[in-house]
Amino acid sequence: MSPTTSHAVDLQGVGKRFLRHTDRRNSIKERIVRGRSRNAEDFWAVRDVSLQIPKGAVYGLIGHNGSGKSTLLKMIGGIYRPTQGSITTQGRVAALIELGAGFHPDMTGRENIALNGSILGLSRKEIASVTEEIIEFSGLSEFINDPVKHYSSGMYVRLGFAVAVHMKPDVLLVDEVLAVGDEEFQRKCFDHLYSLRRAGKTIVVVSHGLGQLEGLCDEVAWLERGVMQQHGPAVETIAAYLRKVNAEEAARNPLVEAVREEGDDRVRAGDQTVQLRTARIIGPDDQPITHAETGTTFRVEVGFTAPEPVLGPNVRIALQHDSGTLVAMPNNHRWGVDFGTVDGDHTVRFALRDNPLLPGRYRVHIDVFDHTGSRLLDSWNDAVEFAVRSPRGEIGQGLVELPVDITLD
Amino acid sequence: MLTDLYSRRALVWAFANRDFATRYRASVLGWLWSLIQPLATLVVFAAVFSIVFRIQAPPLGNGEGASYAAFLFTGLVTWNLFSGLLTLSMTQLKSNGELLKKVQFPAWAPILGASLVQLIQVALELIVLVAMFVFLQNVGWTWILAVPILLGCALFAQGIGLMLSILNARFGDVQYIVTVVLGALYFLTPVLYPMSLLEGQNELLGWIIRLNPMSWFVEAMHDVMYSLVAPPWWEIAALFVGGFVVFWIGFTVFDRTSEDIGELL
Repeated sequence: MSPTTSHAVDLQGVGKRFLRHTDRRNSIKERIVRGRSRNAEDFWAVRDVSLQIPKGAVYGLIGHNGSGKSTLLKMIGGIYRPTQGSITTQGRVAALIELGAGFHPDMTGRENIALNGSILGLSRKEIASVTEEIIEFSGLSEFINDPVKHYSSGMYVRLGFAVAVHMKPDVLLVDEVLAVGDEEFQRKCFDHLYSLRRAGKTIVVVSHGLGQLEGLCDEVAWLERGVMQQHGPAVETIAAYLRKVNAEEAARNPLVEAVREEGDDRVRAGDQTVQLRTARIIGPDDQPITHAETGTTFRVEVGFTAPEPVLGPNVRIALQHDSGTLVAMPNNHRWGVDFGTVDGDHTVRFALRDNPLLPGRYRVHIDVFDHTGSRLLDSWNDAVEFAVRSPRGEIGQGLVELPVDITLD
Repeated sequence: MLTDLYSRRALVWAFANRDFATRYRASVLGWLWSLIQPLATLVVFAAVFSIVFRIQAPPLGNGEGASYAAFLFTGLVTWNLFSGLLTLSMTQLKSNGELLKKVQFPAWAPILGASLVQLIQVALELIVLVAMFVFLQNVGWTWILAVPILLGCALFAQGIGLMLSILNARFGDVQYIVTVVLGALYFLTPVLYPMSLLEGQNELLGWIIRLNPMSWFVEAMHDVMYSLVAPPWWEIAALFVGGFVVFWIGFTVFDRTSEDIGELL
């Protein structure tokens, strides 16, 4: 036995070159007039990727759009041929690359199951044995004898998914198709993927749903412009990828820092005995940042000027989530901090200890009240905006991470 | 090659089923259309060429006069077999492009599946042709020879069709060029006129027509179906083997060049 037999998929130095569309000689006239020119506009979608996917593993491919993930998946599925290197797969490979790709609109659901089954390589006997199961799984028994052109897009995809996962693949390739169908069907799909995983099938998934991948995958490979950046345990690779993405975003976006111009009175309220000047988001290394990370302390700094001495003002920042929810309104009075009499330029630092905010975008509104808390001195709506990212990629888990202790008796 | 074909016969069959089921699904008269069209052509051509141009058909095999309509239809059925398979095969890669881009399977399967369905139409036309000759009491044992001739013709058309389908996927112009060429070739094949009409005419034209492979198939069909004459056995064998060789070449070329077809479409 060769040592590769424990691998379901073995990629050795795989590369894929495409000719760019601008260079395609698509008509005979062009071929004759412009001749055969190549090289100039070659485009390597995947370059020198070596990867062994063990049998029974759930393997994720991550990266930006255009990083070559889908091309790699298509090569594993045999749709594209690698320009360089070699790909060995063991067992039947089924691709969930586009659900219902082989459906003919004029044929009924049942006829399409048979057709799609043959295209995916099943014998007629095998197809007959899974047809009822497919219909049951899709939940479309009522419509199965109607032409699929009368199906809604959701029904179409459900049937496509049902067919693909019932092809008894040894290696299942899944490309961004998990975000289809209603909530109930999505859950069913995930349950099915988990059960395939328990049954020891190999699954290769391409997705941008990093949270989903973290839960589903054993290992993840991260591609960037067709080149493998890192591969290994899912949590580590995803974290490394997110760090890179976050750093890039930080480099791209202007620093989150706002300065109010003198004489810009359009949005001012209050009697201006205190004047707000600047608002900044400051990271742990005392530099302005564009995004904060969940669990890492950062600061909101508010600069103001008091032309005349002011007694014990209350500075309040309101943190509003993109959805409109006010998450918190920290202010020095409630926190029991008395500034005393202030005069001239000052900066208030709000340090959000171990940042409990979960990923999302937040806006900061600033208000300053007098020592009684009833008179508004200055107000600045939408002073700054910042994003919160998480190295672990939780999305849609609420707004804040509460300090919860969970025990089981 | 033959083992490949055999092992994926279920797939070819599935595509044939699809095309069969959907071909005339939205039309009221359904399969009748595949007969109405050639019969209408027959009536118009028979009227124009026998009445206006006064083309004389050769005598029938039974020695009882001649029938231009029967002569014309014999050639027409053979020609339709050729041009039908060729044009259908040529466009199959494009019409199955979405599928070929997303799922891995042999690209010749939908082409051969579509051709199988096209053969049903040919069979319907043949039934009408046979009925016509029975009505004219022009029946003979030589009819059996039509089987290898038509098979050879079908293989010949399929082989060329496979190669053209790849070319057409690469260069969109091919299908238009082929339509033009087929239009000319039709008149360079003795479908509308008997070969005897060429005697004493333009030498070059005569040679072109005699070198056209479709002339051989059509003439052989005229012999065995209309004139009830058996051509020498080696001629029949040559037509069948020649057709098979063209198919084999076409299939091999197709197999070698269709590996990247998913990217071309």
